[in-house]
Amino acid sequence: MRYRSVLLFGLAIIAGLAAVLAYQELGQSYTFKGSMIEPPLPAEDFTLYDQQNEPFRLIDQRGEVVLIFFGYTHCPDVCPLTLADFKQIKAELGAEAGRVNFVFITVDPERDTPDRLAEHMANFDPAIIALTGDRVELETVWKAYGVYAAKAEAASASGYLVDHTTRVYAIDANGDLRMTYAFGTESEAIAQDVAHLLAEKPSQQ
Amino acid sequence: MIDKNILRSGAKRLLVLFGISLAAVWLVSEVAFGLQREKHDRPPQHVNLVIPAGTFERVEAGQPAPSIPEEMIFVLGDTLVVKNEDSVDHQLGPVWVPAGSQASLVLEQPGKYAYSCSFQPNRYLGLDVRKATTWVTRATALGLATPALAFFLFVYSLVLRPIQPKAVSDQHSE
Repeated sequence: MRYRSVLLFGLAIIAGLAAVLAYQELGQSYTFKGSMIEPPLPAEDFTLYDQQNEPFRLIDQRGEVVLIFFGYTHCPDVCPLTLADFKQIKAELGAEAGRVNFVFITVDPERDTPDRLAEHMANFDPAIIALTGDRVELETVWKAYGVYAAKAEAASASGYLVDHTTRVYAIDANGDLRMTYAFGTESEAIAQDVAHLLAEKPSQQ
Repeated sequence: MIDKNILRSGAKRLLVLFGISLAAVWLVSEVAFGLQREKHDRPPQHVNLVIPAGTFERVEAGQPAPSIPEEMIFVLGDTLVVKNEDSVDHQLGPVWVPAGSQASLVLEQPGKYAYSCSFQPNRYLGLDVRKATTWVTRATALGLATPALAFFLFVYSLVLRPIQPKAVSDQHSE
């Protein structure tokens, strides 16, 4: 009888500890993996042209999450990797990916024509929205998003290279700039963040 | 069939040795922790940095920028909070901060990272994210070492002083 009481007491302690740990685990709010902008800033609106030469206005995407990357199609390293990440994020989001716009904005408007953009996106996912415009329009967008873009002296087999910012921007359904991701952030982490942004209730505006 | 009294004495001895082992391991662990304790052996916390107004102009003019070490050591789970009071955007490693804004990043992956930094003289910033030695680490060590030491001491004690059947049973057999 005594041993039974001791056993029950021990089990009760273990169950209590397990309950406390489970409560702590469940009670923790989600931690975003990206670099969060606090408080979120309204994302600067812009209108550029996609690979079908159709105008794309950022403000029209309200209600959906937008991921933006600035790059160029002749890029030998960072851009193809990030576009591959976009494809991976889309796969990880599954059906929810339909509420996400994956946007690629060129930093090389001279070579990135709509046709060239369409051809290049087909290598990854034709649903990625690739935007271009004239240099003046693009420079305004680059400046608004703190993007650095400059032709590099070193030439590659495909012509000149462009040094540029490599971060990915996440804009929520309210049109607020919420997060940025440094190059190399795992696609799984970004997908988790995007899934949480999609789960948020849009504020009434 | 093993005598019940022998089993009871053995269990009692094992329990006592477990207690001694627990105390000994805890003592050694705490002394070692105290001697080898480093600055990053702390719970995760918010690390706040401020980029003062006029930083961009100072960097452009070749003047000293805010005093941020080129190598920064963090604990896993730290939140790096960067407030940008300057009139231009700044990049501090993985954290991009628009002008007049604040950005934060929870450091969840241990490792050494090299990033660009918009206001370091050499435009480089190293982040070292380390796992801290917290009470969980020490408790884990305690949990792993104590049973092993207790078992070792128990076996050793059996060699030195074997458990004898109680005198009562001897008298009974006479």
